[in-house]
Amino acid sequence: MKMTKESNGRFLWRMLLFSLARRRSRLLVALFGVALGATVLLGLVTLCYDIPRQLSREFRSYGANLAFVGEAGSGRLSLEALARAEALLPQEALVGLAPFRYESVRRNMLPYTAVGTDFAKVRRTSPYWRVTGQWPAAPGEILLGVDVAEATGLSAGSPFPLDGRNSSQSRYSKEFKAVGTVATGGVEDGFVFMSLPDMEDMTGEAGVADLAEASLTLDAGGLARAAASVRAGAPGVDPRIVARVSRSEEQVMGKLTALVYLVTVVVLSLTMICVATTMMTVVLERRREIGLKKALGAGNGRVVREFLAEGLLLGILGGLAGSFLGLLFARLVSANVFGRSLTPEPWLIPVTVAVSALVTVTACLIPVRSAVDVEPALVLRGE
Amino acid sequence: MFWKMAAGALSRQKSKHILIAFTVGLGVSLATAMLGVMFDVGDKVNQELKTYGANLTVIPRGASMAGEKYEFAQEGGGEGGAGVQEGHYIREDDLHKIKMIFWAYNIVDFAPFLNARVETSAGPAVLAGTWFNRRLSLPTGDEVSTGMMPLKSWWNLEGREGHDSDPSGVIVGRGLAAALGLSPGSEFTVMTRKAGEKRLRALGVFESGGEEDGWIIGTTALAQEAEGLPGLVQKVEVSALTTPENDLARQAALNPGALSRADWDTWYCTAYISSIAYQIEEAIPGVRVKPVMRVAESEGAILEKTQLMIILLTLLTLLCSALAISNLVTANIMERSVEIGLMKALGAGNLSVSLLILAEMLAVAFLGGAAGYLCGLGLAQFIGRAVFGQAVAVKTAVIPLAALMVLAVTLLGSLPALRALLRLKPTEVLHGR
Repeated sequence: MKMTKESNGRFLWRMLLFSLARRRSRLLVALFGVALGATVLLGLVTLCYDIPRQLSREFRSYGANLAFVGEAGSGRLSLEALARAEALLPQEALVGLAPFRYESVRRNMLPYTAVGTDFAKVRRTSPYWRVTGQWPAAPGEILLGVDVAEATGLSAGSPFPLDGRNSSQSRYSKEFKAVGTVATGGVEDGFVFMSLPDMEDMTGEAGVADLAEASLTLDAGGLARAAASVRAGAPGVDPRIVARVSRSEEQVMGKLTALVYLVTVVVLSLTMICVATTMMTVVLERRREIGLKKALGAGNGRVVREFLAEGLLLGILGGLAGSFLGLLFARLVSANVFGRSLTPEPWLIPVTVAVSALVTVTACLIPVRSAVDVEPALVLRGE
Repeated sequence: MFWKMAAGALSRQKSKHILIAFTVGLGVSLATAMLGVMFDVGDKVNQELKTYGANLTVIPRGASMAGEKYEFAQEGGGEGGAGVQEGHYIREDDLHKIKMIFWAYNIVDFAPFLNARVETSAGPAVLAGTWFNRRLSLPTGDEVSTGMMPLKSWWNLEGREGHDSDPSGVIVGRGLAAALGLSPGSEFTVMTRKAGEKRLRALGVFESGGEEDGWIIGTTALAQEAEGLPGLVQKVEVSALTTPENDLARQAALNPGALSRADWDTWYCTAYISSIAYQIEEAIPGVRVKPVMRVAESEGAILEKTQLMIILLTLLTLLCSALAISNLVTANIMERSVEIGLMKALGAGNLSVSLLILAEMLAVAFLGGAAGYLCGLGLAQFIGRAVFGQAVAVKTAVIPLAALMVLAVTLLGSLPALRALLRLKPTEVLHGR
C-alpha cells in the first residue's frame, strides 16, 4: 500500500484516537500517574519558592532587626528625622517600626523608668510581649512590667501617679491607671509603659524619642542596604543592625531553606521515576500490539512516532490536571501552616506541563525502543 | 500447587515484577526518609534555634531586672562588704545543680555573669566575669562542660577566647579595644574598685553588635576579686531545649499551684520552658528564673511551623507513593485477564485466583519494600548530614508504618482490579475480547 504524506498523517491520528479510546481504563491509569507527578511537581516547587519568604515573616517574632538611635553626640532622636528614615525603608518588607522614649520618673519617691511608645507598633515589632490584662488604648492608661507590678503589689486597675522633672527642670505630675502587666524576661519587666502622646503631655516636651526598633523581612544584605540608605538619606538618625537577631536568623534560615530544597529535590526526582515506571508498565503490556503493527508492515519509525504522540498527549493532559491540583495543594499548605494566602507563579504552569510531557515521552520511548527490536512473529506467538 | 503457581508466576514475569518491586521500593524509601526526617526535625531545628542564645535567665530573688540595669538596688549590698546581702547574688557553687534537674539533658549550655565596674585609660567600663569553658563534676559522677561562647553564637571573635585557669586573660569588645588601641595579644591595665590595679592581657577582640562591644569579658574569679564578692555571681544565662508551650503550660506559668495533680505531673514531666524554670528554682535556693520571651515564644512558633510543614510534605509524599504503587499494581493485574480467564476455565474458584494474585503481589511488594526501607534510611541520613551536619535518628516506629503502608497500598491497589477481572466470563476473555 502506497500512502501520500497527507494520508499518512491522518492515519497516525486515527491510530492514536483508537488506541486511546479502546483502552480507557489503562489510559486512566497512565493519566492518573502523570497527573500525580505534575501535582507534586507544581505543589512542591510553588511551596519551595514561597517558604523562605513565609519563614522570614515567622522569624520576625524574634523582634526588631534594625535599631535607630540618635546620631552620636546629638543625643536624642527627633521624631521628624525618624519619619524621614521610615520613609526610606523598603515598605513591602517593613513589619513595623516602634519608637521608644525613656524618662526617669518617681512614684511615692521611688524611682521608675517610664517608656513612651506606640503600642500598636510594638505589638508588630515585638510579638513576644506577654501581656496579662489589657493593652492600653485610652489616654492615661499604662502597662506595668511584671517586676514593677510585683514590687509594688499593684495589678491591672490600680491608679499609678507619676511625677518628675523635665529637661528644663520644671516639675510635672500626672495620674495614670494600670490596665495590664507585661512580661518579656528582659529589661522591659522593670519598666512602666505609656503611649508617646501621654508622655509628651506629662513632660511637656514633644517630638523626641531615644530609640526606635524596626522589624524588616530582609536578609543580611538587604538590611545592610536599608541601613546604608537611612544613613545617607536621614541625617540625625544612626541605624544599627541588631546582630543578635540578624546573624542568628541567617544561620537558622539557611538550614531550614536547605532542608526544604533538599526534600523537594529528593521527592521530585523519586516521583518522576515513579511516573516513568507507571508509563513503562503501561507500554510494556502492548508488545503484542507492536508486533502486530510490525507484522502489518509498519516501520520502526512509525511505531515509535505513534507512541511518542500518545505519550505527549498524556503528558500534556496529565500536566494540566496536575497543575490545577498542585496549586490547590500549595494553597492548602500555605493557608494551614502559615495562615497566609500564596501568590502562585504563573510561569510554573507551562514548565510543569513541559516537564510532565518530557518525563512521559522519555518513559514511553525506553520500553518501545526495546519492543520494536523484537521479531514480530515471536511476540505474536506470545513469547 | 498454590506455591508452585505463585513461584512460577514470579519467575516468568520477571521484568514486570522488577518494575513493581522497583516502584514499591522507591515509594517506601521516600516514605521512610520523610517519616524519619519528620520525627526528628523538631529536635534538629530546636538545636539550630539555640543560636538565638539563652532562653532562661536565672537571677537572685532580691534583685530585679531594673536593678541590674540601673544599679540602684545593688548599691547597698555591694558597698556593704562583709554584709553582702545573700538575696542579691547567686552562689557560684550552686550552679552545677542546674545540670541535676529532671530535664538536665535538655540544658544545652549555661554560663554565669558578674559585672564589675572598672576604670580604664579610656574611662569607666564594665568588666563581666563569666565561664569560658568550665568542666563540672557532678555528684552523680557525670562530667559536663559548659561556657559562654556557645550562648553567643552571633559574636565575631578575633584572636582566641579566654581560659578559666588564667584570670588575667580577657577578651575585649571591639568599641573598647579601639578606644584603648588594643589588638589580640596586647596588655593593658584597669583600676578595679576592690582589688586595686590589675594588669590584663587581651587574648581576643569580639564584636557583638550590642552594648557588650564596650565591655571586657574575663573569668568569674577576676570579676569577683575586682568587686570583693568571692564565690558570687549576679545572673546565669541558660540555654535549654524546650517543647512549644500549650494552654496547660501557659496556665502553669501563671501559678503551678493551681493545677490539678494529674495536670501538674504532666506539666512537670514535659520540657516546657515554664517547668524547666520551675525545676531550676527548686534546685537552687533563693533564685528567680525568667523565660526570655523573645527567644522562648519565637522558638515555639518556628518549631511548630516547621514541623507542620514537614508533616504536610510527608503526608503528600506518602499519598503520592501510595497512589503510584497502587496504580502500578492495578495496571499489572488488569493486563492479566487472559491468565485469569484460563485459570477460571480450568476450574479455579474466585478465592483461589484472588489469593494467588494477592500473594504474588505482596511477595513482590515486600521484597521491593525491604530494599526501599534500606535506601530510605540512607536517604534520611543524607538529608540529615547535608542540612544539619549530623545523623537523623530514625525512630523504630518507621518500620511498622512503612510495612503497613506497603500492605495497605498493595491490597487496595489489587482489590478493585481483581474484582473487575473476576466478573469477566472465562470464555469471553479467552476469546480475546
